[in-house]
Amino acid sequence: MATAPYNYSYIFKYIIIGDMGVGKSCLLHQFTEKKFMADCPHTIGVEFGTRIIEVSGQKIKLQIWDTAGQERFRAVTRSYYRGAAGALMVYDITRRSTYNHLSSWLTDARNLTNPNTVIILIGNKADLDAQRDVTYEEAKQFAEENGLLFLEASAKTGENVEDAFLEAAKKIYQNIQDGSLDLNAAESGVQHKPSAPQGGRLTSEPQPQREGCGC
Amino acid sequence: MSDKDDTETPVITETTPVLNDGNCEPGKNPESADQSAKPKNKPELVISTRRRPEVKCASDLETPEVQEPVSKDVTQSGWGYWGSWGKSLLSSASATVATVGQGISNVIEKAETSLGIPSPSEISSEVKFVAEETNTRDKENSLAGPFGVFSTISTAVQSTGKSVIAGGLDALEFIGKKTMDVIAEGDPGFKRTKGLMNRNSTLSQVLREAKEKEELWTANEVTMETDKNTHYGLLFDEFQGLSHLEALEMLSQESEIKVKSVLNSLSGEELETLKLELEQLKEAFSLAEFCDEEEEEQKGDEDFTKEITELFSQLHVSSKPEKVARARNTAYEWIKAMALAEKKEGEKELEGENTEKVSKNSVEAIHAFAIRSLAELTACSIELFHKTAALVLHGQKQDVTALQRSQTLSQVTVVLCKELSSLSKEFTTSLTTAGVKEKADALNPLITAVFLEASNSASYIQDAFQLLLPVLEISLIENRTESPTHEQQVLKPLSEH
Repeated sequence: MATAPYNYSYIFKYIIIGDMGVGKSCLLHQFTEKKFMADCPHTIGVEFGTRIIEVSGQKIKLQIWDTAGQERFRAVTRSYYRGAAGALMVYDITRRSTYNHLSSWLTDARNLTNPNTVIILIGNKADLDAQRDVTYEEAKQFAEENGLLFLEASAKTGENVEDAFLEAAKKIYQNIQDGSLDLNAAESGVQHKPSAPQGGRLTSEPQPQREGCGC
Repeated sequence: MSDKDDTETPVITETTPVLNDGNCEPGKNPESADQSAKPKNKPELVISTRRRPEVKCASDLETPEVQEPVSKDVTQSGWGYWGSWGKSLLSSASATVATVGQGISNVIEKAETSLGIPSPSEISSEVKFVAEETNTRDKENSLAGPFGVFSTISTAVQSTGKSVIAGGLDALEFIGKKTMDVIAEGDPGFKRTKGLMNRNSTLSQVLREAKEKEELWTANEVTMETDKNTHYGLLFDEFQGLSHLEALEMLSQESEIKVKSVLNSLSGEELETLKLELEQLKEAFSLAEFCDEEEEEQKGDEDFTKEITELFSQLHVSSKPEKVARARNTAYEWIKAMALAEKKEGEKELEGENTEKVSKNSVEAIHAFAIRSLAELTACSIELFHKTAALVLHGQKQDVTALQRSQTLSQVTVVLCKELSSLSKEFTTSLTTAGVKEKADALNPLITAVFLEASNSASYIQDAFQLLLPVLEISLIENRTESPTHEQQVLKPLSEH
């Protein structure tokens, strides 16, 4: 019991991106705390959340970077994309403008992460169907055209929130399994932890760096 | 940039003999070639005033003998840190000797008797001397940088030639190393922290690795709940310290690249003026020293909150140090409550006998809470620095200059580190009081652990502070560029890199 939080074999870095007010922080909060946060303050720079999930019997720790959506932080948040294994690109189904900006978010996500980064498009606020401004179909089509996973979700009701994070994780895990995601590559966004360590030999040699090795 | 390095390099080489003097001579082996190559590399590597050179090359990793460089780095980095910390630790010890009489000096004595090093009164009187010496020297020698205190101490040592002082320093180094061994038993991951600090990884990488080790350790061992509670690295990560540090590093690196590209794009007089301005900024970043230890004395509870809040208001960023203040105040309240309980315990003790178990529990509880508090306070401090960086970078119009901000942030760093220092003193005093009945070899590791983690915490905070330099540099550059279009041209391609 006590040791459970530290038993996992992978760490995936996720980023959540999208316009201001689409509910990025609320999605994260719902995912990590299983609660809806009604008054969510503007995120400064980036906030963090973690949760351990299970994919194909493997425990995976998601390290989630919830970026600020405000335009004025855009230059800052771009710095945080590096090394993300998964990206949740969020828009608000009741505000068309947030959908229209997706191509710009997608450009950033593509340019600033590695080619294997799994991107999932999330239409948030699915509970507000009456005020819908973006149809499921057109978003679905946009996702298909761009090779994205897609879900409509609601941070308020919790609908599909779990799945949004899980689907991306499954895809990443699949990429690891079929070898298309090289764990040793710089900035794969995935850290693998040896599962059966022999405790005690801790003074052994330093491991080679996984990230940031520029040579 | 290079001027700075020139002044720093001698410090490094100067200190090496003193350090290796003691019991940590790495031995003469293939490594010595590596050793001699080091100083040459250094000027290039020590970008700005950072302590940990960010070498991106794997040459170091390829060396077949791994144990040696590690121990060597322990000495160096250990000293870089213990240097600044050691002074405040010991000078406060000397202050406490006079006033409390049972506080820190007792602690140190306890630590020492088990380690077999000079007596505390010896050290503290010597240190008083060093401190005075240092204070006078501080005035002449303010170019110090992160090596600041250390270099002044070492010059004091050299100029006076008092071997006693060197002895005192040896002792401190010895404590440091012993402590690390002691800690390593209970806190295995962190043994590596020290060793790796000067190697070619970023601080967050080092801490992450250390934390992972701890995770493995805790996952493996059939550990008790209490045991897990004392793993600084795990706790630091739990408080999201690691993530914020990593994020801060990313902002810092990005800014550094931008600054370089701006510098490359300029020439002639324009370049010189900018360089001059950046130099001033850098100076503000090397002033974080701990000189006014004496006047510090017991401050009221609200003072820290007030001080840090005031400093932050001077920064003109929208982040507030509430979290740090809360973490700090929680810790103090806990200590107070503990002391009260302790006192009651003591009264009961006069009547009954059954207190041994209670005291043991409380010693462990104090230790666990101390480590937790230090981890939390450090994580919050780093979060604060990260948020500040993000806000400085988002490029809204400012009514404070980058230089003013740097100076304020430097003060913030000092305040935070002092707070860590006095917090650790509170905790160790509390430990000493609670553990009167404990055997020295049961109590000492706990006390040293608190001091060590406090010292580590202070180093992390200072390192995080240094990461802000490129951020403020780019902020300075962006603010002075009158035409934003020009600046956009320079910066755009990089921000999308």
